Amino acid sequence: MSIFTPTNQIRLTNVAVVRMKKGGKRFEIACYKNKVMSWRSGAEKDLDEVLQTNTVFVNVSKGQVAKKDDLSSAFGTDDVTEVCKQILAKGELQVSDKERQSQLEQMFRDIATIVAEKCVNPETKRPYTVILIERAMKDIHFSVKANKSTKQQVSRAGSCEDLTVADEVSVVNASVCPSLQALEVIKQLKQSIQIQRAHMRLRFVLPAKDGKRLKEKLRPLIKTVENEEFDDQLEMVCLIDPGCFRDIDELIRCETKGKGTLEVLSLKDVEEGDEKLE
Amino acid sequence: MGLTILEKIIALQKKTSHIRNLCILAHVDHGKTTLADSLVASNGIISSRLAGKLRYLDSREDEQIRGITMKSSAISLHYTTGGNEYLINLIDSPGHVDFSSEVSTAVRLCDGAIVVVDAVEGVCPQTQVVLRQAWLENIRPVLVINKIDRLIVELKLTSQEAFTHLQKILEQVNAVTGSLFTSKVLEERAEKDAEAQSSCTENSSADQVYDWSAGLEETDDSDLYFSPDRGNVVFASAIDGWGFRYILRFFKQRALSHFIKLISPCFSLSSQSKGKKPLFVQLVLDNIWNMYDAVVTRRDKEKVEKMVTSLGLKVMSRDLRHSDPKVLLSAICSQWLPVSRAVLSMVCEKLPCPAEISAERVEKLMSVGARRFDSLPEKTQELKKAFLDCSADETAPVIVFVSKMFAVDSKALPQNKQRPLTQEEIAQRRELARQRHAERQAANQSYIYTLFCSADALCAQTEALSVKAAVEEENKEHFVAFARVYSGVVRKGQKVFVLGPKYDPSLALRALPEGCSVADVLPSIPHMTCCTVDSLYLLMGRELEELDEVPSGNVLGIGGMEEFILKSATISTSPACPPFTPLNFEATPIVRVAVEPKHPSEMPKLVRGMRLLNQADPCAEVLIQETGEHVLVTAGEVHLQRCLDDLRERFAKIEISASEPIIPFRETVIRPPKMDMVNEDLGKQQKVAVIHQVKEEQMKNPEGVQVDSTGLVTLTTPNKMATVRVRAIPLPEEVTRLLEDNVELIRTMEQFSLFAWEDKTLDINQKILENIQDFKVKLESNLQGHKWRGAVEHIWAFGPRRCGPNILLNNIEGYRRPSVWQCLEREKETERAEIRDFDNSIVSGFQLATLSGPMCEEPLMGVCFSVETWHMKISAPLAQQDSVDEDSQPAEPSNDDQSESSDVHETSSNRSRSRVEAAGGSVDCYGPFSGQLIAAMKEACRFAFQAKPQRLMAAMYTCEIMATAEVLGRMYAVLSKREGRVLQEEMKEGTDMFIIKAVLPVAESFGFADEIRKRTSGLASPQLVFSHWEVISSDPFWVPTTEEEYLHFGEKADSTNQTLKYMNAVRRRKGLYVEEKIVEHAEKQRTLSKNK
Repeated sequence: MSIFTPTNQIRLTNVAVVRMKKGGKRFEIACYKNKVMSWRSGAEKDLDEVLQTNTVFVNVSKGQVAKKDDLSSAFGTDDVTEVCKQILAKGELQVSDKERQSQLEQMFRDIATIVAEKCVNPETKRPYTVILIERAMKDIHFSVKANKSTKQQVSRAGSCEDLTVADEVSVVNASVCPSLQALEVIKQLKQSIQIQRAHMRLRFVLPAKDGKRLKEKLRPLIKTVENEEFDDQLEMVCLIDPGCFRDIDELIRCETKGKGTLEVLSLKDVEEGDEKLE
Repeated sequence: MGLTILEKIIALQKKTSHIRNLCILAHVDHGKTTLADSLVASNGIISSRLAGKLRYLDSREDEQIRGITMKSSAISLHYTTGGNEYLINLIDSPGHVDFSSEVSTAVRLCDGAIVVVDAVEGVCPQTQVVLRQAWLENIRPVLVINKIDRLIVELKLTSQEAFTHLQKILEQVNAVTGSLFTSKVLEERAEKDAEAQSSCTENSSADQVYDWSAGLEETDDSDLYFSPDRGNVVFASAIDGWGFRYILRFFKQRALSHFIKLISPCFSLSSQSKGKKPLFVQLVLDNIWNMYDAVVTRRDKEKVEKMVTSLGLKVMSRDLRHSDPKVLLSAICSQWLPVSRAVLSMVCEKLPCPAEISAERVEKLMSVGARRFDSLPEKTQELKKAFLDCSADETAPVIVFVSKMFAVDSKALPQNKQRPLTQEEIAQRRELARQRHAERQAANQSYIYTLFCSADALCAQTEALSVKAAVEEENKEHFVAFARVYSGVVRKGQKVFVLGPKYDPSLALRALPEGCSVADVLPSIPHMTCCTVDSLYLLMGRELEELDEVPSGNVLGIGGMEEFILKSATISTSPACPPFTPLNFEATPIVRVAVEPKHPSEMPKLVRGMRLLNQADPCAEVLIQETGEHVLVTAGEVHLQRCLDDLRERFAKIEISASEPIIPFRETVIRPPKMDMVNEDLGKQQKVAVIHQVKEEQMKNPEGVQVDSTGLVTLTTPNKMATVRVRAIPLPEEVTRLLEDNVELIRTMEQFSLFAWEDKTLDINQKILENIQDFKVKLESNLQGHKWRGAVEHIWAFGPRRCGPNILLNNIEGYRRPSVWQCLEREKETERAEIRDFDNSIVSGFQLATLSGPMCEEPLMGVCFSVETWHMKISAPLAQQDSVDEDSQPAEPSNDDQSESSDVHETSSNRSRSRVEAAGGSVDCYGPFSGQLIAAMKEACRFAFQAKPQRLMAAMYTCEIMATAEVLGRMYAVLSKREGRVLQEEMKEGTDMFIIKAVLPVAESFGFADEIRKRTSGLASPQLVFSHWEVISSDPFWVPTTEEEYLHFGEKADSTNQTLKYMNAVRRRKGLYVEEKIVEHAEKQRTLSKNK
């Protein structure tokens, strides 16, 4: 075995190495390129399609196989398949070209979808389509910051899906979230196309004595006042930029000491129904 | 064109009896435009050599390239016969199905039609359609059998065979006319029957004898049919320029004329002596066949010369020597039997002049929709006389119908047209140019005069600016109305009423004072505007000639109407004039695409362009959808292509791209299925362990979520303060439909609750209240059974957007919140209901969850979320504050009167709000508590949804198809390929048409219309209308689980799953994660070899 001859060596091509350090030792497995991510996401279910060979190495490029003792001391088992699965799930890997590409594309789409969902054309009060936003993003040469999102487990459901609620809901993993990149995109897009965040429609009722004072403070935060009634208490229905919601909420809560009420009538103010152009 | 002709035409316009308005109709490629070319050539507008090649009336570039006509265009011709001068307003129409709307616009303005039929192809689908259109508009058709040369040259038929062939074609055409006639008679008969029956029921006469004759025998239909001996058929070859009508006339010009006199002059086409060739063949066809034989086939020069001299024709030697025999042929034929004379003389003889308009047609034009003519106001009925008179008197009311608007480059308008320059002008210009040149040189040379230079540059700049402005002005599209005067005289500068299609004369007559005219200041009446006629044009194909006035009975163009008329309108000086019946379009727009500008910043330009397109095209529809897509709906693929070209080059002038519009889906849950995929009962079988299922289970449920086997989901907020338990239940189909239909009612109820929350009342009128009551009763009757007990009373909210087809149920023990039905219970003693804190958060969470489901973020439909428990641990400081609150406002006893109880209500709601704020104020690393609760509720709903068998719902079109019997099979093939389902089929009475009703998923509908047309050669035309949502039965997450399924599908089950395909397409579009392998086979990737 010690002699290196062409007949007794197995040459691996297209290798993606997944490494893991455990118990002070380094373990590696040889996988096919572009397959590890699919395995991790559960799309690929056949282990043989992922692993080049069912062996755990200490060093793949040198062909040094890990010793059984090391395996059992580090992983508590000497079942190679089981160890391979563990390394596959938790080891670090170099992301292959196609994997990275698809990851970026998906992120790009995701951002575009969020932007399209949250924004409107201020002239028509209608949303833009995702395709249009994507094209606009390409026009301004926006590039996705993929390194911010290597963690796939961002709780998408909680923090990213709803920007407007994100103002209210806890944002757990802020920097990784595509919605924050989306906010950035909106800012940049404003220079090239007519776009703005869809306004939020709010209604608040303020006690009379606070009403006058607060109104002046609220005025800069409000985009348009749709309805205003002032008898024994001040009642207003207005449109605001969703970004100002926190400030307004804070203001009303602090200034009226809990006597004023604030109510979200609609998260985004858009035209509904189809319109026939005539 | 020459000025003389223009003057003649203007003079002729006043002689109503010498005007013929007609259009050319036919199947695509049967030679309409070629025929029109020969007619145009007869007036010297184009050279007769080019006739048939130029296609003068196809003025658009794409028309010339594709070789099909795409729009109807008019030209006025002048024709003299027997000392009588005629003005012929000819309208050429497209033959392609996609543009049948253009045919409708043409037919409406005419009194007669030339129906062209290809001698080889015979009656085609579009021929039937145009015959029907002509029939519906009550205009008289004449027939031209075209392309007879193809019988000789291509099919190489003998004259005898050709004769039988032509006879067959005539029969076919007459059969179509006959069927139209019978269906009309039968219809009338049915109407009469219905009337008779209604009267019969009153009399209840016992002895009813059914009359089987159906009235067909009594009605005379002989004048409808085409027959050569009636003189309404022309045999022609428009490309070679010959055509003849009367067989007699044909012979008189020949040397054989003395021979003809021997034969009875009234012989007919079919008269045939035994064993011999029919006379028609002997005398007519044989001669033509000989001619073709000599000129085209054998190229016998001597014989040709002999024939030419015997016919007494003069053929230029240049033509005689020409290498292409076709040139010689057309040179001979166009002198021998010119097609234009044959057709035009037939037109003048057989087609009615505008004054002969039938009373029946007038009534049809004037009575809109189902309204009967008798029901129109009296003054309007009087106008019928004006129609019939068609007089060009000053006193006659002006009635003009605009059938379409078409866009014209401002360069083409006569006002802006460049007139040839006179000699002096040219000299003047030359002088100017020389001066300028000298100045420039001087300026360049003199360095000292820099100042002067800059001034000059400034001048140049301003000049350039003004030029630019002028160019912009020029680029503006002008719309010209394609119209016809039915009565009176239209003058330039005249003030007229423009009546929209929905205008109601009786309304206006009531509102307007007696005897008012357009010049008066009038109150505004819906669908009626006043305007001044800007300019009048004579339509001359691609050119326009300006006119000052147009008397009745003429086809004309009216400029400057674009702001008043959208697509079609009626123009009149009398407010009593009714709008004309809308054009009946054979093709309804069905091909939908989403249009987007290449550069997003050009959106406003696109919208403007689409508006213009909508105005210019009678059949296109444009709309903006809720998703923000700009959708263009056209009649077919060719029409679509034309519309896009128009948008790109004329109306929007930007780059655009068209794509399939976004298809909406809905997500829902269903009851667990009892059968597996191979129709085996699930209960008896053992589930085969699936390796990956365990893994998936783990992945699905992150920490903090517990799902029990019945689908009850328990979820706690991140700060462990609140716990909710939610279960998803599928709603019965009827309930979903009920909710869909009553969106408005739900919205009203929601508004009421909102006001009640603020302790105000909203007045709802009694009718709506009754409707709500009705709705509630219906809901109750549909939600029967054990598990829905009391459900209707416990409805918490509807969603998404507070009025959708999903329900949030309040099944929390001990929580009695005011019901959504409180508007019904206003009269009753209001129960003491308390709203718990954060009630709103739960509802918001539900709204968010229903707005976008877990499968592909599409809205949910028909799902009921029942909240079973809702625990809250209010932290100590809050509780204290609560108690303080309660101390300061002691609770009222429950048996108080109404005003007080409402007081309680207010305080309680106030309190809850203060608590909301207080809770929000407490510092929490997870953000405000209300937000956490929203997120938790939303997640709980999503997990509850996922715990049930999930399904996608697809939008469905109902599709109505008219097809003839022979294409039924092919049509069914297309339907089943696209997952359509046939609901019913029935035969239309009196015809051989079948009407098939089917449903078809919207997702499969793109290209459907086109495919079905192609496969059935245009004999079946579908109409698609959105109807409902339908659950797609297959499970998107299905994997084989039972032994039977393993046997049947294998372990991987990689047969295509339609639902999964839909779902993944949506997810991919939205940038969501799609469970797909990046590369399918690991081994099959490209190997990057290393040098070793």
